[in-house]
Amino acid sequence: MAEKLVEVKNLKTYFYVEEGVVKAVDGVDFEIYPGETLGVVGESGCGKSVTSLSIMRLVESPPGRIEAGEINFGGRDLTKIPEKEMRKIRGNDISMIFQEPMTSLNPVYTVGDQIMEAIILHKQVDRKEARRQAIDMLTKVGIPLPEQRVDEYPHQLSGGMRQRVMIAMALSCDPQLLIADEPTTALDVTIQAQILELMNSLKESYGMSIMMITHDLGVIAEVSDRVAVMYAGKVVEYTDVNTLFEDPKHPYTWGLMNSIPKLDKDVDRLEAIPGSVPSPLNFPDGCKFNTRCPLAEGKCYDQEPPLEDADGNHMVRCWRYKDLEEIKKRGERIYEDRGVQK
Amino acid sequence: MAENLLEVNNLKKYFPVKAGIFKRTVDYVKAVDDISFAVKKGETLGLVGESGCGKSTTGRTILRLLEATAGEVIFEGKSVMDLDKKDLRAIRRDMQIIFQDPYASLNPRMTVADIVGEPLIIHKLVENKEEKNERVKEILENVGMGEEYMNRYPHEFSGGQRQRIGVARALAVDPKLIIADEPVSALDVSVQAQVINLLQDLQKEFGLTYLFIAHDLSVVKHISDRVAVMYLGKIVELTDKKELFKNPIHPYTQSLLSAIPEADPRKKKDRIILEGDVPSPVDPPSGCRFHPRCPKAFDPCPKVEPEFKEYGAEHFVACHLLDK
Repeated sequence: MAEKLVEVKNLKTYFYVEEGVVKAVDGVDFEIYPGETLGVVGESGCGKSVTSLSIMRLVESPPGRIEAGEINFGGRDLTKIPEKEMRKIRGNDISMIFQEPMTSLNPVYTVGDQIMEAIILHKQVDRKEARRQAIDMLTKVGIPLPEQRVDEYPHQLSGGMRQRVMIAMALSCDPQLLIADEPTTALDVTIQAQILELMNSLKESYGMSIMMITHDLGVIAEVSDRVAVMYAGKVVEYTDVNTLFEDPKHPYTWGLMNSIPKLDKDVDRLEAIPGSVPSPLNFPDGCKFNTRCPLAEGKCYDQEPPLEDADGNHMVRCWRYKDLEEIKKRGERIYEDRGVQK
Repeated sequence: MAENLLEVNNLKKYFPVKAGIFKRTVDYVKAVDDISFAVKKGETLGLVGESGCGKSTTGRTILRLLEATAGEVIFEGKSVMDLDKKDLRAIRRDMQIIFQDPYASLNPRMTVADIVGEPLIIHKLVENKEEKNERVKEILENVGMGEEYMNRYPHEFSGGQRQRIGVARALAVDPKLIIADEPVSALDVSVQAQVINLLQDLQKEFGLTYLFIAHDLSVVKHISDRVAVMYLGKIVELTDKKELFKNPIHPYTQSLLSAIPEADPRKKKDRIILEGDVPSPVDPPSGCRFHPRCPKAFDPCPKVEPEFKEYGAEHFVACHLLDK
């Protein structure tokens, strides 16, 4: 495989709050290769957003701090370089788009001004040229009448348009990596389809890599080449997208996939994962999924399983993934019914 | 066939748009604009559409949490619109609602016992405190929560548990119809399934009828018997769920179905990508409201509003293509 664009090694980002230490990201490893989309999937509080903010070095400090680990990008460790250097990378080599475009756009500046700001800062061109490039970017992201839209304010645009503006801004400096944190979650499904298609086509024409963070397995299946599944601050499963959906090895991944209703398959009951995500202030000992896992036993309660390679390029963090294999072969459910508990 | 528990005929809900220093009404947001449907006893009718299509307004107008602009709502043969305050309160015992946001819909200063017990007191279903607590315990058990939770406050619970409390509150008065307004969309994926399973179990156990309002088509497909698709204040298609997903007729339904990202990477869908955004309900497009975005629009679409009529057995569609 090609050389890695980003390599995250044993990343730990903690938040020191009054109640204690929130281990939002607690030992995360993954790589992103040039031109690929890495999907990062997990539920709220699993640390997926904090991981991306750590790469951008945007974790608010205090209370947050990158506690340990490396983020290697272009031969440098982003956790170690001075803020001044980081500023050159941010928005230029790595850019980011967020879930809610309205809160990430400045309401008192026109969208043109906001796109031009990044261009002027990183490309050292004059306002006239920057404006030309901004209009050009708006055209590329499919905004109709870009000459007119460039002078409008964010509130004059719809949600889908705003997200297109965000993308235009993020891509204006030709980044090598685009981090997209739930970019379509706030959008309606027909608009989501537009944005995902736009991102896929831009990825091809720009040859950049995308780190797509989402809770939606549908979006993951749609856009990713490889996927990291996160739970409670750790990667629990990591492999290519086809393998993940055909052969999920971690009980959590398996549960997630069976808890969503499918359009092409009818089931009477969904397989619901019991309970909810443990508080990050108070993670259980051993495997962090043990409070909800139907397979948890002995070892799972006192030793944390390592992220090990199950069969060539399929990493899984579970003591009992081989037992899950057997259960799957027998075609049984692993999650018991938790509708009405009698 | 089962009889209709709820009938909605030509329901309209317009919100005035006020402007100027005298707050004169300058226009109307036509949130719900002439819709008709019925919900049969014991079934789940899914009401699906994108944000701003009027699905939540429909739910609230049926309960008279919002007063309708025109049209009628008939519940068990009685017109809900004509009821005075006293009778309305009585009928609300039979019609309950579950809200989307379990954080906003529970009073943070009330304990679970008070939240779930309040409707019992309002409807005078219990005589004294002991009886109330006894009943609350029973109801909480029905939604999978033990009595140890009774004296806790909402902030002590996770989203999924709060939604169970919301369900328990609706269930407390032993209703016939529950309007569930996006009950799982604020929850994490793994918890959504818990609440969906719970709703299905309760339906079986208590013979409940649901009007299930959601934007997520796969959830609607899972839980509903029949599905109505809304677009910009109108119902564009209404039929049995199997029929709808196998044989969608309205171009909007077709594109909506094709837009859902499916959790199967090998499946490459032929996607119908709609152009543009949903137009404003203040000034909806003429004729068929979908025509500016419709890939199949032809001559009559911008001029004449299509009639909502039966296309096949129990399959209602509002589209000019059917006459072509």
